[in-house]
Amino acid sequence: MEQKILKKDQIGKLYNEFVGEYNFFAPINKKGNVAFEKIENPKDIVLDYLNSKIPPKSVLFPQNEVLFEYTLDEKDVEITDRQDLDQKILIFGIRPCDAYSFELFANFFSFHGNSKDEIYLKKKENTTLIGIGCNNPRSTCFCTSVGGNPFNKENMDVFLTDLGETYLVEGISDKGKKLIQKLPWLSDASKNDLKKAEELAKTAEESITTKIDVDAIVKNLETSFEHSVWDEISESCIGCGSCAYLCPTCTCFDVIDETDHYNNRGRRIRIWDTCQSCLYTMETSGHNPRDTKIQRCRNRIMHKFSYYPTNYDLLGCVGCGRCVIVCPANNDLRVILDKIKNIEKKEGEKVVA
Amino acid sequence: MPNPYIPYLTTVKSIVSENKVNDIKTIELEFKKEEDYKKFDYIPGQFAEISLIGKGECPIGIASSPTEEGTIMFTIKKMGTVTSGFHNCEEGDIVGVRGPCGNGWPVEEMKGKNIVVIGGGFAFSTLRSLVIYLLDEKHRKDYGDITVIYGNRDPGEVLYTDILDEWKKRDDIKVVLTIDREAEGWTEEVGFVAPIVKKVGPSSDNAVAVICGPPIMIKTTIAVMEELNWGPEAILNSLEARMKCGIGKCGRCNIGNKFICTDGPVFSLAELKELPDEY
Repeated sequence: MEQKILKKDQIGKLYNEFVGEYNFFAPINKKGNVAFEKIENPKDIVLDYLNSKIPPKSVLFPQNEVLFEYTLDEKDVEITDRQDLDQKILIFGIRPCDAYSFELFANFFSFHGNSKDEIYLKKKENTTLIGIGCNNPRSTCFCTSVGGNPFNKENMDVFLTDLGETYLVEGISDKGKKLIQKLPWLSDASKNDLKKAEELAKTAEESITTKIDVDAIVKNLETSFEHSVWDEISESCIGCGSCAYLCPTCTCFDVIDETDHYNNRGRRIRIWDTCQSCLYTMETSGHNPRDTKIQRCRNRIMHKFSYYPTNYDLLGCVGCGRCVIVCPANNDLRVILDKIKNIEKKEGEKVVA
Repeated sequence: MPNPYIPYLTTVKSIVSENKVNDIKTIELEFKKEEDYKKFDYIPGQFAEISLIGKGECPIGIASSPTEEGTIMFTIKKMGTVTSGFHNCEEGDIVGVRGPCGNGWPVEEMKGKNIVVIGGGFAFSTLRSLVIYLLDEKHRKDYGDITVIYGNRDPGEVLYTDILDEWKKRDDIKVVLTIDREAEGWTEEVGFVAPIVKKVGPSSDNAVAVICGPPIMIKTTIAVMEELNWGPEAILNSLEARMKCGIGKCGRCNIGNKFICTDGPVFSLAELKELPDEY
């Protein structure tokens, strides 16, 4: 039987089974916010969170990441590749929307041109996801509008359902099923447990009341690049970029060299970047293709809801609602999408960007 | 697959100043490992991410032609930290090279056609690569008439003067040089590129035009080309953008759903007309 039961006080036991073999990441409370961190003490793990403030993309695509290291000699340079990409990673307690975002990342990082982002892809390959369904989705969640579900198990290896006193444990992928076999001390789930899990999933799905007609939006965007709606949408934006930094599908990065001049060594690193910054596209000559806020706000929405569908037949949004929560100007993606859905085509009307 | 962010290591073989004000230099690089040079299989119009390890990396068009074997060349204007670093390079210094990146000029599809090369100022580097490639004895027979129209602000800004002199001596290429305003000792054309193109009047019959230069030059030249009955499919441009990775990952060089680094940098005017005006 592949459905098992994990008691809530057995999380430490589960952690101890895997911690040697895997780098074990899970959500913890960090300065009042939930984020995925490498776990030293299993007591730090919190699973009754709604969703982490910082998405678990930070595990496979950290805010700062070494691309390679170097040592500098008088007339020579030595480059050292990453040595840690074969380490096994386990992410415990990931939500379905975030698990799906890993698929979008892998798709993007293997798509353009001839070069794949082997750093990300290798880590992804070595990662096992033990996810958990969302019994109580947040008011800002809208995964059901973008093809997701609070109990979507598709992108997980093992799926947990919080049954109150215990977790129902289900092996989803072959990798996940094998993982469960390593835990013979788990008890078998009863029919009642399964029934309860089904009910929880149904209640959770029904509790998400936001309904966004994404197909209509994708279609409208095809012909709305110069519509005045972008002026309206970008009006309250202050260009802080929080929406993009905390978006589980935003992949953009900057690259810089960090050199320790005293020791003649350093590292080339990548850092999260955002298309909401005016410097992002600023060229050396001073020319800036996206000079205005209108253009930058438009690029973020177009990228997720038009360029993504055109290029990959996928949406670049998982409906986690983080951008809605974090925006200091209350620029709500759901409202933005509603405006796009309701735009009326007026002949000859063009926004001046 | 290897880590795509790790550059090949090369050493500076030569570095020469290209203009009177000394803010443009051409740097010639030799790969440290022969096998890396073999892997760096490029065509004219492609670019590379070149770096001074410890200072940073930037995308630069390849100025050499693959027919010039043994080394690769980049012509670099001194602008910021990295490009200034290149200007201070000496022979033997180490330079990192990743690439080749981008699509390049479609030299295969251009076969059998007359080629018109129009360049302005410092943007001539990948045009140098293209013309040397076309004139190479292995390739010259594959192409029709070749016309080069190259404009600069003043005579001191003209790049690659030695090679231009060589081209002028040949009878299988027409070279028209122009400067914006009259200058002492200048015996060639005077005037902006667009009116000179009009004067030369290249025929659009079975021809491809390759245009590189500052935005205003491109805009005015395209207007002239349209007057001369050139269709948008036959006009090719090479675009620039701020880039970090050069391989379609860092995100910033998109125009609509295309990336300049992987879908470009070469786009036909017909393709550009389909894209948003955001470049």
